[in-house]
Amino acid sequence: MRALRFPRPRALGVDVGSAVNLVGAVLKYLGAAFLFPAAIALGSDEPALPFLAAAAITGGTGFLVERGTRGRELVGPREGFLVVALTWLALPAFGALPYLLADEPQLARPVDAYFEAMSGFTATGATLLTDIEAVDSSLLMWRQLTQWLGGMGIIVLAVAILPRLRIGGRQLLQSELAGPTELERLSATIRETARRLWVLYLVLTLAAIAIFTVYGWTGADPAMNLYQATAHAFSTLAIGGFSTQNESAAAFAAVTQWTIVVFLVLAGVNFLRLYLVLVRGQVRAVARDDEFRLYLAFLAGGSVLLLLELLGGDLFGGEEAIRNSVFQAVSIMTTAGFATSDYTEWSALAELTLLLLMFIGASAGSTGGSIKVIRHLLMFRIIRRELEQTVHREIVVPVRLNASIVDDRAIRGIVAFIVLYIGLFALGALGLVVDARRAAVEVQSFEALGAAAACLGNVGPAFGFAGPFGSYAPFSDLSTVILTGLMWLGRLEIIPVAVLLTRGYWRG
Amino acid sequence: MEIVVLGAGQVGTTIVEALHDDHDVTVVDLDAARLQALSYRYDVRTVRGNGATRRILQDAGVDRAALVIACTSRDEINLVAGTLAKKLSAAQTIVRTSNPEYIEAWQERQIDVDFMVSSELETAYAVSRTIGVPAAKQTDVFAEGQVQIVEFDVPTGELAGDVVGLPLKEAKIPADSKVASIIRGEGMLVPRGDESILPGDRIVVIGSPDAARAWSRLMAAEEQSVDDVVIYGAGATGVAIAHVLLDQRIRVRLIEPMEERAREVAEELPRARVYCATGLDPDFIERERIGQARAAVFAMREDAKNLYAATLARVHGIGFTIGIVHEPISAEVFERAGIDVAVNPRSVTAEEIVRFAHDPRIRQLAMLEGDRFEILDITVRETSKLVRIPFKELPMTGSLIGAIVRDGTAIFPHGDDRLEPDDRAIIFTESSRVAEVEKAL
Repeated sequence: MRALRFPRPRALGVDVGSAVNLVGAVLKYLGAAFLFPAAIALGSDEPALPFLAAAAITGGTGFLVERGTRGRELVGPREGFLVVALTWLALPAFGALPYLLADEPQLARPVDAYFEAMSGFTATGATLLTDIEAVDSSLLMWRQLTQWLGGMGIIVLAVAILPRLRIGGRQLLQSELAGPTELERLSATIRETARRLWVLYLVLTLAAIAIFTVYGWTGADPAMNLYQATAHAFSTLAIGGFSTQNESAAAFAAVTQWTIVVFLVLAGVNFLRLYLVLVRGQVRAVARDDEFRLYLAFLAGGSVLLLLELLGGDLFGGEEAIRNSVFQAVSIMTTAGFATSDYTEWSALAELTLLLLMFIGASAGSTGGSIKVIRHLLMFRIIRRELEQTVHREIVVPVRLNASIVDDRAIRGIVAFIVLYIGLFALGALGLVVDARRAAVEVQSFEALGAAAACLGNVGPAFGFAGPFGSYAPFSDLSTVILTGLMWLGRLEIIPVAVLLTRGYWRG
Repeated sequence: MEIVVLGAGQVGTTIVEALHDDHDVTVVDLDAARLQALSYRYDVRTVRGNGATRRILQDAGVDRAALVIACTSRDEINLVAGTLAKKLSAAQTIVRTSNPEYIEAWQERQIDVDFMVSSELETAYAVSRTIGVPAAKQTDVFAEGQVQIVEFDVPTGELAGDVVGLPLKEAKIPADSKVASIIRGEGMLVPRGDESILPGDRIVVIGSPDAARAWSRLMAAEEQSVDDVVIYGAGATGVAIAHVLLDQRIRVRLIEPMEERAREVAEELPRARVYCATGLDPDFIERERIGQARAAVFAMREDAKNLYAATLARVHGIGFTIGIVHEPISAEVFERAGIDVAVNPRSVTAEEIVRFAHDPRIRQLAMLEGDRFEILDITVRETSKLVRIPFKELPMTGSLIGAIVRDGTAIFPHGDDRLEPDDRAIIFTESSRVAEVEKAL
């Protein structure tokens, strides 16, 4: 007899169980990633135990979480946001384990280790290390590897290999892959698209490793060897910016620096289009692309501006001035954060130029961060339309991108994103200044603006003590947390996280 | 000859009117009343039923017919009927359509009918002619875009340049181009040096893309050259007109009251300015300086509305107004009311079909002017008797070598140039000479 019926708890619109279950599944596989630095450790007489322990903890936790929650085969689009947000919170937590287990003195506290791991996975490149070269080579390689894994995207990788994401991966991919427009497909299935992206990424990385290694062998760059080549290929293709050297790219020869520029420019192109060009030979896919053209124009413009400032200040001359300005413009705009020179010693004008370049970013669907060229392009067209309609009230002007029309929802999304982005940047900088005063750390307002922009845009180095050869270490713990949050939000392009804060998201 | 006409609407009726005297005409329609009305007025046989079925087509006698004209108001019915008739008989088939994409598919020979006519396009050409701009009626592109073949209607107004009215040998013809043919009325002239292009002719020009543009400028009447046209109504006709005018580098402003349609059209026509408005609001007309346009076309669905809007536009100062009319009687009403030109899409369509039907030289491959001319792209053989003879010594016939493509580059030959083996010759010829030309090369 069913006499008693309990009122059901108010229905939650999101299947949290399924989402957590999927995060567990992703973590389970992440455990395997620790084996790479473990092998490096064994090869160079460093303790491998921290990596093996981290592998066991991560894999085990993932396994238990997956077992302990009930998950449906398919996660819906709604759960997608939660999966992405949670994955990107959980990854750095486990990724920080080696720093803690290896007793690295510069990253001994969990908040610091978490910052460093977040900076790694989000391919930011901001560091708390003051003496990078003092750290074990295996630990440094792990740090580089986190950038490489996060650059193209963990979820993209999961969609490519996890059998259960065979279908329904679209929403997940859309949330993680950068850019405001609809995901273009390279093949009929989303999973095959994800696979091709990763294969292209892998091939480009191997190409970079090979080229760097050859520079080492031939003596073109005495500082290069297989280890350094691998480490820097990882952080270059991911547009991350971590280096194993205190002096970043300045530790290497000019030819290596130019090669890094080339690979950064490539990695900053939309990978979906890069695939069409490199694999299918459809040069038009890029040559006729509005975003790509503007991307090159921004890069060229930034380089020339810096060059003029450098030549005016006679810090460098000739090839050196060209190389430093091009390298720095490319590195900062694509949001890598490598440096060939301490730009904090250039001029105030050069610093301001670099700060502004931080807001441009790379292309949609690339491994770079920040606002991205496509949004600037569309924002410009939206404003132009607004002005046109101010004069001609009835005129109908579609916003175009290449040959297609950008629909109104996408346009609203772009405006919302840019407003949120600038808002978060301002709030973050404000938070840093207020907290610095509380903690009695000396932070100039320009440095605070720079740090907020560099973390939100996943650039890495900022200005002042957090400059390219410096470290974020002087910031207080609270500031470190703020910056960690900005990196997280910046990598996921804010909206998938902001959605979670709305009541409508959780309602049935 | 025997002709089957599918559709007894305005187009069908106009066609029957033009053809019933000289031919045996059978008309097919679903509507018995229309058929009856038609059979009282003209001596034609009628069949009631769906013309897109085999049974009705056979009843109408397609197997004996020399020509089948599918001109109902529905594209797909016409297409099915046309292709069915083509399979069932040896008749030539003409299909009326309102969709430019079908025309495109037909031009690329993916739809197997002999001739296709679009009311919208014909209307657009008619409008463009009245504005005094030569509509390039058809542009064919050869040799990867290096060679263009363009057909122009020579306008009757004053023309710039020293081309029209002069013998061709004295006329200043744009570089890298040739006049392939001059069509005057029903006749066609071989463009020898002493012939001249006259206003009202239709000419076919072959040349480089630059030359085609130069011709386009030459053919624009200077006096009444219109550079800014307002089109009321962005339906299929309005959009077709906009396309043709935009191709002539004329500024086009389209006014469409339906928001969704306005958006669609704005997306389709990046070079036009599209307003979402009725166009009847004096404030709007004033604000957007509609009165300053040189001409306005009224292509809305209702004749009465077109008349009102056109009159209002005249009040605001537009000098030249063209009304699209749908009822036959409206043309007269419009003219009485002072509208400069009234264009009836159905009658221009019927005229075009009749023109094709009259032509005795109906052949398999329709290329230009329906099917009077063909353009051949032939690789020259070593054994050809024309190889290595200077062009000036080649005999003048109804065929013309418009361009040769040598090692991938187009050459527009002059008197001293010679054909070499393995050249690709782009040849413009009368259809009846195709075999002759193929043999010669």
